[in-house]
Amino acid sequence: MTSIEVHDLHKVFQTKRKAAGLGASVRALFKPEYREVEAVRQLSFQMESGELLGFIGPNGAGKSTTIKMLTGILHPTGGDAKVLGYVPWKERQKLAFHIGTVFGQRPQLWYHLPAIDTFTLFGKIYELDDRETKKRIDFLTEAFEIRDLLETPVRKLSLGQRMRCEVAASLLHRPKLILLDEPSIGLDVVAKQHIRDAIRRMNQEEGVGVLLTSHDAGDLEALCKRVIIINHGQIVYEDKVSNLKRKHLTSKLVEVRYAQEVPANFHLDGVEVLKVGRYGVKLRFDTAHTSVDKVMAHLSSVGDLVDITISDPPLEEVIAKIYREAPTRMSRRE
Amino acid sequence: MKKYLAIITMQLINNIAYPGDFLGRSISIGIFLFIFAGLWGTTFRIAGTDSINGLTFANMMWYLMMAETIELGRPRTNRIISEQVKNGEVAYILNKPYNFLMYHFSFGVGDSLLRVAMNIGVGLLAAWLLAGPPPSLLGWGMALVTLIGAWILHFCMMALIGLAAFLVEETNSFELIYQKFVFVLGGMLLPLDMFPEWLQGIARALPFPYMMYTPARLFVKPDVELFWQMLGVQWLWVIALVFLLAIAYRGSERVLTVNGG
Repeated sequence: MTSIEVHDLHKVFQTKRKAAGLGASVRALFKPEYREVEAVRQLSFQMESGELLGFIGPNGAGKSTTIKMLTGILHPTGGDAKVLGYVPWKERQKLAFHIGTVFGQRPQLWYHLPAIDTFTLFGKIYELDDRETKKRIDFLTEAFEIRDLLETPVRKLSLGQRMRCEVAASLLHRPKLILLDEPSIGLDVVAKQHIRDAIRRMNQEEGVGVLLTSHDAGDLEALCKRVIIINHGQIVYEDKVSNLKRKHLTSKLVEVRYAQEVPANFHLDGVEVLKVGRYGVKLRFDTAHTSVDKVMAHLSSVGDLVDITISDPPLEEVIAKIYREAPTRMSRRE
Repeated sequence: MKKYLAIITMQLINNIAYPGDFLGRSISIGIFLFIFAGLWGTTFRIAGTDSINGLTFANMMWYLMMAETIELGRPRTNRIISEQVKNGEVAYILNKPYNFLMYHFSFGVGDSLLRVAMNIGVGLLAAWLLAGPPPSLLGWGMALVTLIGAWILHFCMMALIGLAAFLVEETNSFELIYQKFVFVLGGMLLPLDMFPEWLQGIARALPFPYMMYTPARLFVKPDVELFWQMLGVQWLWVIALVFLLAIAYRGSERVLTVNGG
């Protein structure tokens, strides 16, 4: 079953433009100039129920604007979308009962009060009965390991602790789909891991679909099965995460340490030598053009191997390469 | 309805989170009344009279106590909407299963309830010390009933100004203009009874007196006939402004721009 269907979704913002200085400010008062910014351009995609879909792109790519249209907060300039069968901007309140949202660092928890107060309020807002709310809070506090944090005013929580409470709050009403807009922004490694584990668990146990925007490739690797990469408001890549790795993670980094000194003129056809040290070398090669066998055979012929490390380049690099290779039409119309 | 009651309760709890700050702010009505007592005491002494246009010094002080209670306790919806649009929090307010305006109405009620109660408490004490015993129970009753309509009118105006934030983000200047209208034509600075006839006529044709003058005037000089008449016009304005607000909201929803990535 499909939970999100998007066809040719389009959003153009009008923003005021003004040159620097007092004169320009005065001129802008009498003759304001506007420019149109196309935040999202003819976007089309689908998401299945219970899917973990990553929506990746650099800052200003149009990820958040898309999420805001899918939750019904923003009206699109053109195109259609259905989320769980609802047209979001026409049936926002009905849709709200079935989706949960987290918008990066913006708090939805009441800042000066303990999170438990917001949880209880949300129970009322989503029309759950008190017993159900309590049961749900018990479950979420265990899943997100937030039992000790619930009665502390939100302002006193660390960012990581707060984000766990934020995501838990967005799941209080058992949504079928959650839209997470940069949930791991600003978090340290441990906090990110906590959030990812809890989200994965909710997906597995409750079948909640997750649409996650992030510019952290780690979120994508840890959580998502499928990825859509967006840049300048357009989809530039759409595939399974495993395919992304298979097709684009073809280059390997190799670091070798020898028992003897390495010849200064170390060289191998089809291999890029990044560094030659006294006892070690660092190199990169593409498995599509140079066989692993050939490289290994040459490396062991040079001397006695003491240590060897073979690694993939970080996913960030791969994604950055996809951005660069994607068509970069001008995103602004004067 | 339960969800709106929950929002009112939540905001009440929120207000109690900082009791020191809350108590501090409540003292300001006492300071205002002390200053007004000096001003009006001098005015009455120089005029050499016990009453100006039918109002005694005590009437004036209790009138100002009620007017200040309304001014200091009125909702600040425009500032809240404007802030939420600027920092992007409006996204969370809009994607919950409640009516956006009813959310702000409930938030405003929760915000005002305690402030009004505290201002009445501190104001009562200050005005009693400065001008003698308070008006009759009938005055209290009429003031409290018309206070409800006055509050709703304030809310409608503040929310209308707040919705302008969907377009222009910053709405402080609109609030300042509105405030000046309430100061003068609403009868906050001076009761309408002190105005020349023609200005009274203009004021009475506008909603402002029903936000401020009506409860304050009925408080100090309760009059059954005047009460029903003012209450009727006040609620006509309530209906008109609620209607206008609903239309404005429908229009503004489409033009919202949420800040931030």
